[in-house]
Amino acid sequence: MTIAVLLKQVPDTTAKITVSGGRVDESAVSKWSMSPYDEYALESALQLKDSGGEDIVVITAGPARCEKLLRDAAAVGADNLVHVLVENIGDLDSTQVQALLAAAVTNSGAEVVFCGKQAADTNAGSTGPGVAELLGAACVTLVSKVSADGDGYSALRPSAAGSERVAVSAPCVFAFDKGRTEMRRPNVRGIMMAKKKPIETLTAGDLGVDLGAASVTIISHSPPAEKPPGQKFEGADSVSTVVGKLRDEANVI
Amino acid sequence: MPYEALDFYDVDSLLTEEERMVRDMVRDFVDEEVLPKIEQACADGVFPDEWRVALGEMGVLGAPLEGYGCPGLSYTAYGVICRELERGDSGLRSFASVQGSLAMYPIWEFGSEEQKNHYLPKMASGEWVGCFGLTEPDYGSNPGDMITKAEDKGDHFLLNGAKMWITNGTIAQVAIVWAKLDGVIRGFIVEKGDEGFSAPEMKGKHSLKASVTSELVFSDCKIPKDRILPDGKGLKGPFSCLNNARYGIAWGAVGAAQACFDSARDYAGTRIQFTHPIASYQLVQNKLAWMLREITKAQLLAYHLAVKKDAGTWIAEHISLAKMNNVDIALDIARMARDIHGANGILDEYCIMRHMANLESVKTYEGTHDIHNLILGRHITGIQAFTREI
Repeated sequence: MTIAVLLKQVPDTTAKITVSGGRVDESAVSKWSMSPYDEYALESALQLKDSGGEDIVVITAGPARCEKLLRDAAAVGADNLVHVLVENIGDLDSTQVQALLAAAVTNSGAEVVFCGKQAADTNAGSTGPGVAELLGAACVTLVSKVSADGDGYSALRPSAAGSERVAVSAPCVFAFDKGRTEMRRPNVRGIMMAKKKPIETLTAGDLGVDLGAASVTIISHSPPAEKPPGQKFEGADSVSTVVGKLRDEANVI
Repeated sequence: MPYEALDFYDVDSLLTEEERMVRDMVRDFVDEEVLPKIEQACADGVFPDEWRVALGEMGVLGAPLEGYGCPGLSYTAYGVICRELERGDSGLRSFASVQGSLAMYPIWEFGSEEQKNHYLPKMASGEWVGCFGLTEPDYGSNPGDMITKAEDKGDHFLLNGAKMWITNGTIAQVAIVWAKLDGVIRGFIVEKGDEGFSAPEMKGKHSLKASVTSELVFSDCKIPKDRILPDGKGLKGPFSCLNNARYGIAWGAVGAAQACFDSARDYAGTRIQFTHPIASYQLVQNKLAWMLREITKAQLLAYHLAVKKDAGTWIAEHISLAKMNNVDIALDIARMARDIHGANGILDEYCIMRHMANLESVKTYEGTHDIHNLILGRHITGIQAFTREI
């Protein structure tokens, strides 16, 4: 069985984000990383591979810089690497990206798809359900663990009562919340093998996807409002003022 | 604040993609596994065993060696690994240097096929730890006059003598010991448990506290005949190992300096005195600019030395210059960073004082600062100045 893991390269959570001309300035992002929930998806797929011998194909859509993401995935054990090359990925809306990813999944022959529940940059949270819809596949969201279960899979997800185990069979899509284990660290052997792995680069045209026009356009990005400066109080006299502010303004006591 | 490695000239852009991936792997390991535990390890005076396991799992031990289960990376990658490890702690880098350059390398370079097959795979995986016995209590910079000797007793060798300042000694399964056999320095493989061999730990260090330092004592120590390294006779044997270790130190010192700079820059930006961040004052900026200047030069020195190492166009004097210079500036940077941190600089909340104390050892081991100057002096003038006796 082949598992497709959908990965997105996002600005590292430690990278400074600057907005210029109403858009996040991508050229100023110092470090790009794998979106954290995608890491849980990949780790979970790797664990299934360890126990059952599944083949893992990792798929990403984005510009040339995303190649590093695929190599990083190969270094920890991904078998096949697919890059849907889109230079202007930021101009596409979620449904367009989903169309590309779903077509790439079909092209790979995978019937099981793992992805993060949402990306760390846009936080739209629509990739899993959107791709499932296009593939006509079952979709289980917010999963923390997936295990092989007979011919299908069972996934652990939260429920009102605690957690529930959902059994599904392929074709199916699992959107991962924080998993039980962090993504494994690569090793030198993996890194050296990753270097030799070919990357299959595909365009929308290669996949037969007509992107059409975006149905959602972003008017502008803006940075979060700056925090107001802190207030400083000194001496015992200020106690009642501080208590008043904590009660009435901060609402913490 | 997340660590931001100073790389003013973007020297790391000269690395291959593979070397950058190795860098990121080790950097993540240091962030996630080493820095949260380093102060406790120093306080306890131990080298955490899980670091040995992790280094083996990452596959970085004996980085530039090929075959026999070794990684087969470039010398450049080995340098980068040392830099990233020493950004964490010099004791951690020392472990890797000793394992790879001083214990695995002599077996790989001078050992028999049987010795290579027997020892190297288990040392590359970290299962067996190695150490290197050259320095003696009375012979540090002058190892040629060592006292430790080996005698051929027909069906075995008999070792007598003592080694000192041996990193990893007490935790090592394998010791590469240099001793005189009929007056010629030869390498011997001594194993933990060999009759007449003990490795008591040296205590009371104010430096490299998260590293094991030991004596090696040989008291009629009997070892089988197949434990002598067939090649590498005379001082050339141990010195060729030291060349590789010193090369790694030239890179490692950059990591320690980068760590101190990173902390000093952050601190200066947030520490308010006289109503402004101290980073806004000229005296502090002057210090930071000097640190940046020296780190950049050290990086370029290390990188070009790596190119020469990989191309095989290096000479030992190139390594002496880089080891000596880079450790020297790293120590000065640590001291200057302590100054910028004010009193806070002495606390274990910051890495500064730990790096500073570590670098005092690093300046002294693997050829002291002064000895490297003498190596360069001999190279320049053709006159050796180590001894009056010729």
